[in-house]
Amino acid sequence: MEHRTMSRRGLLGASLGGAGAALLGLSGCGAANGSVSAGTDHLGLWYWNGALSDKLLATAARGVPGVPGLKVKGSPIAGEYESKLLTSLAARAYVPDLACVNSSVSVFFPDEHEFLDLKDLGAGALEDQYLDWKWKSGTSPSGRLVGFPLDAGPTALYYRRDLFEKAGLPTEPGDVAEATSTWEKYLAVGRTLKAKAPGNPYLVSQIAYVFRMALYQSPKQFVDADNRFIGDQEHVKHAWDLAVEAYRQRLSARVLDSTPDYNAAMSRGRVATMINAVWAINGLKEVAPKTSGDWRLTAMPSGPANYGGSYVTITRYCRDPEGAFAFLKWMLGPANQLKSYQEMALFPTTPAVYTKPAMQKPDRFFGGQIPVDVFGPAAEKAPVIFFSPYEDTANTPVFQELTNVETLGKNPDKAWRDAMNACETALSHLGVS
Amino acid sequence: MATVAGTAQVPAAGSGDEAGGRRARADAPRGRWRRHLPPYLAISPYYVLFAVFGAFPVFFSLYLSFQDWDGIGDMRFVGLQQYSWLLQDSVFWHSILNTFEIWFMSTVPMLFLALVLAFLLHSQVRYAAAYRVAYFIPNVTSMVAMTIVFGSVFAQSGLANSMLKAIGIDGVSWLTSALGIKSAISIMIIWRWVGYNALIFLAGLQAIPSELFEAARVDGASSRQTLFRVVVPQLRPVILFAVITSTINGLQIFTESQVLFYSDDPGTTGGPGQEGMTIVLYLWQKSFNDHQFGYGAAMGWLLFALIALFAIINWRLVSGSDRDGRRGIAWRKEARNGR
Repeated sequence: MEHRTMSRRGLLGASLGGAGAALLGLSGCGAANGSVSAGTDHLGLWYWNGALSDKLLATAARGVPGVPGLKVKGSPIAGEYESKLLTSLAARAYVPDLACVNSSVSVFFPDEHEFLDLKDLGAGALEDQYLDWKWKSGTSPSGRLVGFPLDAGPTALYYRRDLFEKAGLPTEPGDVAEATSTWEKYLAVGRTLKAKAPGNPYLVSQIAYVFRMALYQSPKQFVDADNRFIGDQEHVKHAWDLAVEAYRQRLSARVLDSTPDYNAAMSRGRVATMINAVWAINGLKEVAPKTSGDWRLTAMPSGPANYGGSYVTITRYCRDPEGAFAFLKWMLGPANQLKSYQEMALFPTTPAVYTKPAMQKPDRFFGGQIPVDVFGPAAEKAPVIFFSPYEDTANTPVFQELTNVETLGKNPDKAWRDAMNACETALSHLGVS
Repeated sequence: MATVAGTAQVPAAGSGDEAGGRRARADAPRGRWRRHLPPYLAISPYYVLFAVFGAFPVFFSLYLSFQDWDGIGDMRFVGLQQYSWLLQDSVFWHSILNTFEIWFMSTVPMLFLALVLAFLLHSQVRYAAAYRVAYFIPNVTSMVAMTIVFGSVFAQSGLANSMLKAIGIDGVSWLTSALGIKSAISIMIIWRWVGYNALIFLAGLQAIPSELFEAARVDGASSRQTLFRVVVPQLRPVILFAVITSTINGLQIFTESQVLFYSDDPGTTGGPGQEGMTIVLYLWQKSFNDHQFGYGAAMGWLLFALIALFAIINWRLVSGSDRDGRRGIAWRKEARNGR
């Protein structure tokens, strides 16, 4: 009996001690420096799956080539990536030395001093290698380079050659580009497709795409550099009107993205074209494998744009800023951007590699067309856009109302007024007037 | 606060003395401390964890609701600004309405179904244990995974519409109409919670004395009459418990809407017409998508007030029935003692 009580007490003590030590460990470790890699021989990099080349990261974990003694270990962060990054920054503990951020890098500009100015580390010398608009979009209004260019999302018009042919429309990329050179001509092509192609296919899956792409062709968005709301002006209204026009002419399949209905519509040829970024290729191949060979690519109506693409930042908690920048230079330099394209289909932000044989590969999904022939020029000609930190807040009501128009049949004029009111209310909470 | 703590200490010290008896008086205060330490240490992990992960976030969110904070930078005190914005926010009111509609559409049929299921499980069936496990499984399944499955079920060309087609009903817009969205979410909630509540009801049923059932049978009551005349009145406290827990869960619906209507643009706002936008989804969207943590915190506290209101109403109802119940027991005791 006595022995048993002793052991039980011992167990209790040990478990208490363990819990206490764990709590102490939790609070103690990170406090010393704030970096997640404190006390290790490598730098910590956070990314989400698919954002960076797995092969190159494996190499960097063993040692970054050309930088003796430097190791960078990538941690794929599952789930709500941005929330987790914010949490670590707010806690000032376990912050990664380097962190990928998505296309909405401007969200971090009000707190830009959480990140190092990459120009201080010598980034200025590399500027010529990168796409101009991409470089500028990672630069904060005060002129600090916060986000280093990772990949780009140049856009194109994806179209079903077979359906175009049966509708008596031009079929070759050059001719189609001419036939759809403006948004108005694009909608006219949509009417022909719906009338003449088998199965009366729709032009777009969702009118939100028309709005988004037309807006991304504009250098101005919802909020200007002086923190003023400009979302009620012509450049937004024009994009809205085009989208509503596509709805009025019944050219939209009205299926929301990443739903089973979307997948069904794409694989069964209910949608004949798609205006989307280069990274949409993977998703399309996945949901509509049977349409392989039927698709072609050409320039987007009314000019190119960019949709998406990420950045890498160095946080102020970084234990070795020079080392971290040396890693960025290696990882995101032209040679490895080319490798990342081959491995992960991450579209390079270094235009010099677009002409390299490794990128000039025909794609059977597009009937042997070379995708970079379309996406390369689009990436080089995409407009420089000013993104305020509040774009996502501002555009949410507009996309919401477009969905309401399309799926619930809401009156477009009322929807526009509601969207503008919701925009102004949401933005006024953030100090935008 | 100080007075509460003070009054709480007095009876505690008193009872400690009584329990300690003569030995305690002989010991030095230090010895007493040592004697009381192990039990306090033994129960401390819960309190330490609760303080860190429960109490602190609660009070911090209250503090946060008076601040303007983007999650990283400096906080700015804004007083009641967040609350006043919130009360003028039409989306917030819409989300409250949605939450109550979904709560009503899910809870009423669910509790009824659970009662019927429990009644069936209570009667003599073969493999009763297997049924109980089967009905409980949805409750322990990952909601995220199941929502993705339900997404296909409720798709325009999904399983639900195929089945409806078989009986001659044409394509219901499950995920693109106001009623469809709320029905879809309600069905998912029912699917998840009906088994759990059935088991609670079953436990209540098993506590009903079998003489009552026998008496009902002798009097020639049908199954339906037994259910409504015997079971339901006897189960009243259990039913009220189920209503309370369903209310608390129902006001916090989140995962179903979030996964079902996940989107980059317009963001996860509850689908067409924001019909699937619940209070907690809006809280999440404003906090973690828009980085307005003060606004989200204020919303959390208004939700708390709402739940507290319902808890009080429920408590009134329950305490009423409880008094009846106790009176019944007292009468029974009196009768037994009398004999």
